[in-house]
Amino acid sequence: MVSATYDPTLDPHARSANLRFALGRIAVYAFLGFFAIIYLIPLFVIVANSFRELPEISRNGLIALPQSLSLKAWPQTWSHYCVAGTCEGIQRNFYNSLVMTIPATILSTMLGAINGYVLSKWRFPGSETLFALMTLGVFMPGQIALLPWAFILGSIGLSNTVAGLILVHVVQGLSFTTLFCRNYYVNVPDDLIKAARIDGAGFWRIFWKIILPISPPILIVTVIWQFTGIWNEYLFGVVFTGGRQQPITAALVALASTNAMNARAYDVASCAVLIAAIPPLLIYFFGGKYFVRGLTQGAIK
Amino acid sequence: MLAIKTALAGTVAVALMATAALAEPKTNMLHQWSQGSDAAAIAKLGEMFTAAGGKWEQTSIAGHTANTLAKLRADVVAGNAPPAVQLKGPEIAEWNATGMTANLDDLANKEGWDKVVAPELLPVMKPTGDWVAAPMNIHRINWIWASTKAMEKAGIKELPKTWAEFNADCDKAVAAHLICLAHFSQDWTDSTTFEVVLYGMDEGLFKKAFVEGDTSAMRSDGMIKAFEQFRTMVSKYMDPAIAGRDYDTTTSMIAKNEAVFMIMGDWQIGIFAAAGLKSPEDYKCAQAPTDWGKPGFILNSDSVVFFKQKDPDYVEGQKLLAHLILSPEFQTVFNQAKGSIPARLDVDLSKGFNPCQQLSQKDLQASIADGMLVRSMAHNMTILQKYRGAIMEVITSFVNTPNMSAKDAANAMADAVEAQK
Amino acid sequence: MANALSGLTAVRKPASGRDVLTAWLPRLVILPSALASFIYVFVFTLWTLYVSMSNSSLLPTYQFVGLKPYLELWSNQRWTIAYSNLFLFSALYVILALAIGLALAIAIDQRVKGEAIWRTIFLYPLAVSFIVTGTVWSWLYSPNAGIEFLVRSLGWHDFTFRLTTSKDTAIYAIIATGVWQSSGFAMALFLAGLRSVDPDLVKAAQIDGAGPARIYRRVILPSIVPIFVAVIVVLLQFAIKTFDLVVALTGGGPGISTTFPAIYVYDLMFQRGQIAIGAAASIMILLALAVVLVPYAVWTTWRSRRGAAGG
Repeated sequence: MVSATYDPTLDPHARSANLRFALGRIAVYAFLGFFAIIYLIPLFVIVANSFRELPEISRNGLIALPQSLSLKAWPQTWSHYCVAGTCEGIQRNFYNSLVMTIPATILSTMLGAINGYVLSKWRFPGSETLFALMTLGVFMPGQIALLPWAFILGSIGLSNTVAGLILVHVVQGLSFTTLFCRNYYVNVPDDLIKAARIDGAGFWRIFWKIILPISPPILIVTVIWQFTGIWNEYLFGVVFTGGRQQPITAALVALASTNAMNARAYDVASCAVLIAAIPPLLIYFFGGKYFVRGLTQGAIK
Repeated sequence: MLAIKTALAGTVAVALMATAALAEPKTNMLHQWSQGSDAAAIAKLGEMFTAAGGKWEQTSIAGHTANTLAKLRADVVAGNAPPAVQLKGPEIAEWNATGMTANLDDLANKEGWDKVVAPELLPVMKPTGDWVAAPMNIHRINWIWASTKAMEKAGIKELPKTWAEFNADCDKAVAAHLICLAHFSQDWTDSTTFEVVLYGMDEGLFKKAFVEGDTSAMRSDGMIKAFEQFRTMVSKYMDPAIAGRDYDTTTSMIAKNEAVFMIMGDWQIGIFAAAGLKSPEDYKCAQAPTDWGKPGFILNSDSVVFFKQKDPDYVEGQKLLAHLILSPEFQTVFNQAKGSIPARLDVDLSKGFNPCQQLSQKDLQASIADGMLVRSMAHNMTILQKYRGAIMEVITSFVNTPNMSAKDAANAMADAVEAQK
Repeated sequence: MANALSGLTAVRKPASGRDVLTAWLPRLVILPSALASFIYVFVFTLWTLYVSMSNSSLLPTYQFVGLKPYLELWSNQRWTIAYSNLFLFSALYVILALAIGLALAIAIDQRVKGEAIWRTIFLYPLAVSFIVTGTVWSWLYSPNAGIEFLVRSLGWHDFTFRLTTSKDTAIYAIIATGVWQSSGFAMALFLAGLRSVDPDLVKAAQIDGAGPARIYRRVILPSIVPIFVAVIVVLLQFAIKTFDLVVALTGGGPGISTTFPAIYVYDLMFQRGQIAIGAAASIMILLALAVVLVPYAVWTTWRSRRGAAGG
């Protein structure tokens, strides 16, 4: 915004200010670049190892400039490798995770939106306490909940089923989704709601016509958060399913297990990590903008 | 005449089909062999089960044993105990005490298991006198492996027979700028190495401390001496990077001839094979050093426990599975790949088994005859998990705390066990 | 709320069945979730509390034995190490992730080019599970095959980078890796917050002659205090649940130096068949949480009361 009539090179103060500015820019980029390298090294290692041949990895170490190139590991990981009990690669686990994560994400997001709507716009005596209670669920460590859940699932006949696992993830996810959505909807002006009610709109109508249309940022945040959390979850996914229903994290742990009393295939492990990371990464990639926007409005308070 | 015969044959066939249709054996085996050669071995069992007419399902849980046990507990609490679970050692007795395990005596008596299964395993598989578990294999823990080329380079002619020879050999290795003992520090590996040392130095003390759990034995001078020998090994003969290392890197230290010795159980055979190594060209095997000069054997055994089921198909499946597991055919196929030896003493190992495995069976028979056979503490075959966990914590702390004295370690071990009582 | 409703209906006929339904509908709608959360939070915790005072070993049994499991728990050296690790880790993890996240956000906020790329680079670790992060970083920390090996092979033969091999420094490796995974999240939140600061406030400060550092300190940061709170809440719940990361990175070692309460609970309950002691440890974890949450709850209540009173 320097005007055309003002020549900064003639003004000593401006010159030093420009210099300071330039140094400042360099400092900022250097800082960002330094951290970016630290963040990217693991990604580089994984990607490289998925294209290297296993004997070469064993010989030259895990982080070395690749000296071999092979696409062999990819199809092997997907459909042939013997992991998690069968020799069909990780594709079954991948589909299992999809079948489990997508419904759980959608359900917990929807419920979170409705709950957030109720707790922010339809307050009743005790609703703040209820909100605090539901938020506490965010902190429950999984190990505590494992046996009680097993008992409950067994009693309602959903033990070792995908439906049971979805139920567990939905109830546990409710805490997060309600927290996010309620904090977001609190910023919606109450007058909007009041005006709608004076016009005769009821509970559901207000939800569909007023609340939902302005919800995409927070819904995307919630979907990203839930999808990533459920997709990457290991303990419940493994304990509450059986046989052929095990999720992708079961295969990942099998491949990464440091306890294994047999040789590890780093190339297959790297491929599996990448394949497993694709869905969450895709969601982050496409929803990233909204993530930042929705988070700020959903997280203040 | 032909018509009558055909009609008869037809009737018999229909009758057979009908009986077969009454109970279709099926199973769902819960185990932790989730990848690599372990998974392939279980797949073999599945093939045999299917070939015998059963419906095979299995749930493999990776990672720590705790994950498999967590799933077992969750299933039991949900009222859905699995038909077959991989359990071993004292846990078999613990679960038996809950009353939920199925009794295999009929099958055992019919097939004469008492006569062919190694006698040391019998009290583990029959904690209250009834058969509740089917043993799949016998692992030997007290092996010492050596890189052939590294031995040559250090001028070591043959594998050490006593711990004094071991120390002397290691001094030679260190002088030749080699790492003497390849190791990676985790609670189970530290404990494996230590129990091999203790057993080799004083087999009676091993029985008292690690099989019976006697805490005064843990405070004894013999235990302190064992810790002192262990300290020498950790500080002088292992390299400093043991804590961050993983299993594969340790094996490759032997494969690349950077290290001379490695103390590990017999599954190392399978791992060497996967890395393309052969014995004796690339590696040699011998009983880990003992100071009392006889064949010795520290035993570990994987087994399958069966839980009572309501569904008759599962009950049939359990009988079929138990029968298959103890069959000479499965015992042969399963153990060839894993490096262990069959739990049945009457299987011939001369075909398809590695010379180290054959030596293992010979030493097993000899140590049974001499009374030197013991079960492994590090691999959960003797004392309860709560004591074992406490002991293993002390041992691994000892490895990673250079200034912990042998006496302190021995006392800490006894204290930790007493705290659990 | 009843008052608000009666205000609307005062000019019409008295509360009809439909109005009653309207009043109760929200409560009905939230009832299933409320019930589920109540069971999940309260009933599970109460069950754990009861089991922690029972004689449960292999499976849950319900004979009351008082505080004996707690005494056994605290006499265990591994527990005291785990508990102190939790506090050390939580404090450093939260503070460092906050600091780095804030620094990265401020840097990106300087209108750098390619913001979407920078943002993606720092955010992608969140998409990856803790198990993978722990495993890959354990490769990198390994002296024989990781970063130390790489730098040495490039010529610096004395370079050491072996945090995970010594029991005194391994915990810092875990903290560093945790911060690597989560500071992107903090960055995203702070970035959004920085963007939503009222530009007039900033302009006013600039007109007053304040330099950039001063503007940040006096104007911008104070206005995003709620974001600090939100970030701390999320980071804290990650810290409490720390399990997968440690198991994958160090397995609780070297020795038992990086063991954590959640890992020990898992071990006690499932590996060692000591469910009562495991439950006692779980209650201790929840108590540690209360140490942070209760003051926060008190503070928010006090703040909102003061806000309501002050107007």
